[in-house]
Amino acid sequence: MLVEAPVEDKRITLKEAAKLIPDGAHLFWGGFGFQRPPMAFAHELVRQKKRNLTIYTCGSEMDIDILAGAYVASRFELAFFAIEGIGLAPNIQRRIREGAVQIEDYTNLAMALRFLGGALGVPFMPLKSMLGTDLLTKKRFREKKAEVITCPFTGEKVVLVPSVRPDFSIVHVSRVDKEGNAQIDGIKGEDVEGARAGKKVIVLAEEIVDTEFIRSQPDQTAIPNIYVDYVVECPWGAYPMMVYNYYDYDLEHIRMYYQQCKTEEGWQKYCEEYITGVEDHMEFLKKIGFERLLKLRAKKPFPY
Amino acid sequence: MEKNYAKPGEYTTLELMAVCGARAIKNGEVVFVGTGLPMIAAMLAKRTHAPRARIVYEAGFIDSNAIDIALSIADSRLGYRASAAIGLIETLGLLLQGGRVDVGFVGAAQIDEYGNINTTYIGDFEHPTVRLPGSGGGNDIVSSAKRIVIIMTHERRKMVKKLDYLTSPGFLTGPGAREKAGLLGGGPSLVVTNLCQMDFDPETKRIRLATIHPGVTLQQIMENTGFDLIIPEHVPATEPPTYEELAILRAIDPYGIYIPRPAQTSSS
Repeated sequence: MLVEAPVEDKRITLKEAAKLIPDGAHLFWGGFGFQRPPMAFAHELVRQKKRNLTIYTCGSEMDIDILAGAYVASRFELAFFAIEGIGLAPNIQRRIREGAVQIEDYTNLAMALRFLGGALGVPFMPLKSMLGTDLLTKKRFREKKAEVITCPFTGEKVVLVPSVRPDFSIVHVSRVDKEGNAQIDGIKGEDVEGARAGKKVIVLAEEIVDTEFIRSQPDQTAIPNIYVDYVVECPWGAYPMMVYNYYDYDLEHIRMYYQQCKTEEGWQKYCEEYITGVEDHMEFLKKIGFERLLKLRAKKPFPY
Repeated sequence: MEKNYAKPGEYTTLELMAVCGARAIKNGEVVFVGTGLPMIAAMLAKRTHAPRARIVYEAGFIDSNAIDIALSIADSRLGYRASAAIGLIETLGLLLQGGRVDVGFVGAAQIDEYGNINTTYIGDFEHPTVRLPGSGGGNDIVSSAKRIVIIMTHERRKMVKKLDYLTSPGFLTGPGAREKAGLLGGGPSLVVTNLCQMDFDPETKRIRLATIHPGVTLQQIMENTGFDLIIPEHVPATEPPTYEELAILRAIDPYGIYIPRPAQTSSS
């Protein structure tokens, strides 16, 4: 008969998780567009006044705009940032003009492959994008950004991009058990590869489920516990953005953020009111209000 | 069959642009789109002449059958009755770079006469005036899809002789340049603007006027184009939307999120 091993408990609080990140650390930043951004984690990094982080991501929005606005992150290697469907990311714009933020541009596929390369333990990955463009020739702070080589087997031109092994990977998922087996509903973006690229991995989740739930449907596990170091229960952790099957975005709040952050004063006011002026994520949710949150809950069979 | 075309004033320029985009999609094709007008165009195509078109959104939604308008490329709305929800390596890597995408739709802040696209910087790279969102999957799509449709506003500062930054590759410097660079895809095939549709001369790979939207003059197009546009001897008028297309279009975007109603923005 199989002897059941005790289930390891990797749960820590959001505050403890953010404390693990030293100034100057390099982070894989999960979520894609409006879907599952680690918003609560971004808020906590701001509250703890982290500095000089380097963020690796494909396309992110209000979450990384907040990290730039609060001077938490100074360097980004990414493919896209904006408040989609609304406008340009207001704080990042301003911080670039000040010289406080630098961006190294890649494409979405290039970034996703860089994470896959890091996870695979190989130093670079080949791809057929970026050829013939300024993405190859213009760079900000990387000594080497990308190289074109002639394939030794076929003779065709291929771009090589450096793999990424960040200090930490931060991902916000649908649900996880206490030993770190994570399920992701809906699109995975680049989180499957990104979570495997980090030297340490912090998984934040909308809900903690019993290990039996995970083990009764192992095909649903997107990130197995072997990769995961810490687990944080973090309901509404992507608010005001969305989590598939859980809640829709709060368009009114996002629009307010966008309008207000067009000025430095407006951003400072937002930051004070919703981030530094509240004790923690629960206080933030209380400030948003129960009724407002409930209205955003997904209505089956729709995932939003 | 006689088509029942709407008359000028009964539709807006944005509606015409969405219809032009939809008509560029063939039934059964694998179509890579972003949000905004391209999403509306793809939804219209699926509800009219191309019900078997498979719409792919780069965040990971494959063969989407969304019924609500999405704000974000990763919007849960796009997952409604999709055949799969995977991720970027799947969509941009296996499907797109793997050569399985027929047509990709992209926007542009600037294009040049070879259909090269800028979505990254306005102004000098060292001291830019505006930092735009960047490539996202744009460069990947334009690099590797079999053909590309560009949808954008027609202004002199956007149709430029020289791009401030080359984000996504059109025909680069002309015939043979894509092949020499090692690119897989076929490059841009159509540019839909608020004034006209443009295609590319097969010999020179330079942008060429294809159709002029009803009510627009050649003069207007010339004034709003910063590069030398090839103008063939006979340029037909753009086929207007049919009443059926307009009715479907307005049902797709009932609140006018991407396409405000004629009452709000009447086309002159």
